[in-house]
Amino acid sequence: MLVAEGAAPSGIWKAADDATGGAVTRAFASAEFAGKDGQSCTILAPGAGLSRIVAVGLGAGELTVQKLEDAGGAASALLAREETAIFATEGLQAAQAALVAFGAALRAYRFDIYRTKQKPEEKPKFASITLLTGDVAAADAAWARLAAVAHGVFVARDLASEPPNVLNPIEMANRIEKLRDLGLTVEVVEPEAMLKMGFGALMGVAQGSANPARMVIMSWNGGAAGEKPLAFIGKGVTFDTGGISIKPAAGMEDMKWDMAGAGAVTGLMAALAGRKAKVNAVGLVGLVENMPGGNAQRPGDVVTSYSGQTIEVLNTDAEGRLVLADVLWYCQEKFDPRFMIDLATLTGAMIVALGHEHAGVFSNDDDLAAKLLASGLSSGEKLWRLPMGPDYDKQLKSDIADMKNITGRPGGSITAAQFLARFINGKPWAHLDIAGTAWFTKDAATVPKGASGFGVRLLDRLVAEHFEA
Amino acid sequence: MLRVTLLAEQPADCPLIVLVRQNAVPPEWAPQAAAEAFTGDTETTCDILGGTQRVLLVGVGTDPDPLALEAAGALAVSHLLQSPHAAIDLRGWPKRHAAFCLAGAVQRSWRYDALRTKPLEDDPKLAQLDAVTDDATLPKAWARQHAVLTGCDFARDLVTEPSNTLTPAGFVTKLARLADAGVEVQVLTGAALTEARLAGLRAVGQASVHPPALAILRWPGEHALPPVAFVGKGITFDTGGICIKPADQMWEMRADMAGAAACAGAMLALALRRSPAPVLAVLALAENAVGDNAYRPSDVLRHANGTTVEVVDTDAEGRLVLMDALGWAAAQKPAAIIDLATLTGTVVTALGHLMAGLFDNDASLAASVAAAGAAVGERVWRLPIDESHRRELDSDIADLRHCSPDRMQPDASQAAAFLREFVGETPWVHLDIAGVENWAEADERYAAGATGFGVRLLDRLVADRFEDAHRA
Repeated sequence: MLVAEGAAPSGIWKAADDATGGAVTRAFASAEFAGKDGQSCTILAPGAGLSRIVAVGLGAGELTVQKLEDAGGAASALLAREETAIFATEGLQAAQAALVAFGAALRAYRFDIYRTKQKPEEKPKFASITLLTGDVAAADAAWARLAAVAHGVFVARDLASEPPNVLNPIEMANRIEKLRDLGLTVEVVEPEAMLKMGFGALMGVAQGSANPARMVIMSWNGGAAGEKPLAFIGKGVTFDTGGISIKPAAGMEDMKWDMAGAGAVTGLMAALAGRKAKVNAVGLVGLVENMPGGNAQRPGDVVTSYSGQTIEVLNTDAEGRLVLADVLWYCQEKFDPRFMIDLATLTGAMIVALGHEHAGVFSNDDDLAAKLLASGLSSGEKLWRLPMGPDYDKQLKSDIADMKNITGRPGGSITAAQFLARFINGKPWAHLDIAGTAWFTKDAATVPKGASGFGVRLLDRLVAEHFEA
Repeated sequence: MLRVTLLAEQPADCPLIVLVRQNAVPPEWAPQAAAEAFTGDTETTCDILGGTQRVLLVGVGTDPDPLALEAAGALAVSHLLQSPHAAIDLRGWPKRHAAFCLAGAVQRSWRYDALRTKPLEDDPKLAQLDAVTDDATLPKAWARQHAVLTGCDFARDLVTEPSNTLTPAGFVTKLARLADAGVEVQVLTGAALTEARLAGLRAVGQASVHPPALAILRWPGEHALPPVAFVGKGITFDTGGICIKPADQMWEMRADMAGAAACAGAMLALALRRSPAPVLAVLALAENAVGDNAYRPSDVLRHANGTTVEVVDTDAEGRLVLMDALGWAAAQKPAAIIDLATLTGTVVTALGHLMAGLFDNDASLAASVAAAGAAVGERVWRLPIDESHRRELDSDIADLRHCSPDRMQPDASQAAAFLREFVGETPWVHLDIAGVENWAEADERYAAGATGFGVRLLDRLVADRFEDAHRA
C-alpha cells in the first residue's frame, strides 16, 4: 500500500483494515506511521490470509518520478522474503503505478551467480508483482517501456559486477554480441584492425595486458533512414591496476568496475533497442585491461593517437582518457553524429569534488548540458555541471608532445575533461565523470549496494524527452 | 602601489605601451611587428627598442572586453618592471576599458617590500605609470577603481605578512587604516567572547598565547536599510592544532586569514569610494596553535544558538570560527551574508587555482555573486550542498559533527552544509577561496603571492545589488 501523508483510510486500506479486524489502524498507530516520505510499516500475518502488509509513505506534495520509484524500491526491499506481492496503487494514474513497479524492480536486482552455499531460506525470493490499477492497458504499455529500461540497467549492473578474471575485454565483447537478440547491430573491432587504423593511445594502454583489447560498436536504427545518429561512448577498462604507475593495494578491487561507463553505454543501447526507441543511436566502447606487464607502456612514452595528435604519457594510471581519445575521434569521423556523450569512471578527484549524489558533467555545448541536467533531475540520476576553459586547457602543455596525459591534483577532473575536449572536432559533446556514482557502498531506494548502472536511466530519458520523433 | 598619473600629453622620456587590436598594427611600427610576426593577438607583445623611445606593442585581440584590457595592462608591465617610469596610451578606449587596463598594471606590479632590507640588482623598479588619455570622464572612473585597488592592496599585504607579527592582535592593529577611512571598528576579546558565547572561536584560539578576537566593522553608508554582511575566516596561522599538519608547505598557512583580509579590504574599498550601502563585516581572528590547553578531537562545543557540535578534526578549524561569526552576523538581521574562507583542500581538487567554490542557500544571491565575480575576473563556480553531504555530519553524541572522519570525502560541500546550519533564513553565500588566495609563480598575467581574491568581487556585488536605496 502506498499511503500519502495524512491520508484517511479508504479503498484497499479500509478493506484490509476491516478484514483484519483493525490490525492496519493499530499497526500504523503503534509504529507512528503517517505516510511521511521515507516512512514504512510492515505488518506480519495480519490475518485475512495475508502473510504481510507493507505500507510505504508517499509524503506530501507533488508525486515526482523519483518519489514514485523510490516508494516502489522501498516496498521491494521490505518484500525480499515474499515470492510475490500485490501492489495497490489507488489514486495513481497507470503511468505512475508503472513507475512504482519500475522502482521495485530496480531495487530487487541482485548479483548472486557466484554464491554457491546460500541456503534457500537466506535467498531473497521476491520475483513478481501484481499491480492493481484502474487502467490495465495503459499500465501495461507504460510498463513495457520501463521493463526494457530496467533490463538495460541490469545489463549495466551485471557487467560492472562481474569479476575481472571473468569479464576481460573479449568476454565483455562477447556479452555485447548477445544483444543482437534485441535487434542491435554489433561490430567488434580487434587489435590488429585498431593498430592498422592508428589507435596508438588505446593500444598503448592495452599492451601491458595478456588480455587483448576490443572496440565494440553497437547501432540501433529506430529512427528515420539517413538521420544522423546520437552517439554514446564508454570507457571500458575491465581492470585497472594503474599499469606501471601502479595503484596502492588498498581498495584496488574497486577497479573491476572501471568499465562502468562502457557498461552504461551497453545498458542504454539495450534499453533503446528493447523499447524500440524511434531514434538512430550508436554506442561505442573501448575495452582494455590496464596491467603492468612486461610490455606495458611506461611513464614518459609518447603515443600517437588516432587523431594524429601526440600524447606524452606521464602517468599510466590516467589511462581512461587515452582509451576515450581514440574512440571519440573514431566515432565522430565514422558516424558524424548529432552529439557525443561519453561516460567514464575517469577521476578520483570527481569523488572528492561532488561526493556520490551527483555525477559531474562537462560540456562544450550549453544546450546539450541543460538538457542533460534536466534529464538528470527527472530520472533521479543527477548531474552537476563543472567548468571548462582555456586556462585549464593550458595545463596540458607537454615539453615534447602535443599534450601530456596528466596535470596535478588541482582541478583534476576538469583537466581530464579538457584532455578529452582535444579529441572533439566541433561536435556538441558532453562528458559524464561517473567515478562517484557508478558504485553504491550502501543500499539506496532503487539501487541495492553495488553497481548502480548510473547513466542508463538518465540517457534513456534524455533520448525520450528530446530526440525521439 | 604603482603610482598612476593621468596625462593629456604623451611623455617622451620613458617606455611607451601601445595597445594593438588584432591586425591593426600602427603603420609606423609595421616593419618591427612583421619581423616578430606580431599581429595584435592576445597574450603577445612586440618590444621595439631601436627608436628614440622604447615602444612596447601589446596585443588585445579582436573586440576586447574590459577584462582583456586588464590582462593586457598586466602583460605590459610584466615586461617593464625594470623601468622606473613608463607610459601607456589609452586614448580612444572607453573609460571602463581604460580603468581595467590600469587595474591590471597596478595589480601585476604589486609586491610586498615591507620586510626587505637589502635591495637586489634585479628588484622591480617600476613606480610610476603615466596614462595618456583624452577622456574627461576617466579621472572619476579611475578614482573609483583606485579605491578598490587600494582595498586589494590592503588585503594582499595582510595575507602576506608573517604570522609572528600578524597575530589576531596584529590584525586588529591594522584595522586602524579602516577607522581612518570612516569605518567603525569594534573588537571583542577575552570575557566579551565568553559573554557572546563564541565557543568555536574560543576553542580554536585557546592553545595560542595570542588570544582570539572577533572584529566587527561597520560602514554606515547612507541608506536606512539592513546592511549586507561579509564574514571572513581569519586564522592568522594554522598548524592544524592537535591534528597537526605535515611540515611540508606548512608555511603557506600564514595565508589562512585571506577570507578575513578580503572582507577588510572590501570594507576599505567601499569606505574610500563612499558607497551609499550600509555594510557590516565580521572577522573571526584566531591562531590555531598546538599547546597544553589545545582543543581536542572529540570535544563538544555549544554554539550560541544552543546547537552542540562535536569536533572531529582540529584542522577543520575554519568552520568552527565561522559558525560563530556567521551566527553573530545573522543575529544582526542583515540583508544577506557572504562569507569568504580558505576552507578546504578539496575545493582545490575540484576547481584548481582558477576559480573559487560557491555554495549558497539562495539562488538569486548566488547568481549575483557569480555575476560580480565574472565582471571583475574573480571567477567562482557553484557547487552543490546535497542531502548526503549534510547526513555525513550526523554525530553519535551531539547535534552534529563538524566534518567527516573518512577519507576521500567531498569536504568542501560538507563544510558548506555545516555552515548553512548557522545562518538561519538569511540569504547566504559561502565562497571557499582555498587555492585562489595565492598565485604560485609570477607570470605575464599575475604577480606571485597573495591575490586579494574577493575584494573586487565584494565591491562589485555591493555596487550591483545593494546600493539601490529602494531595494526590497
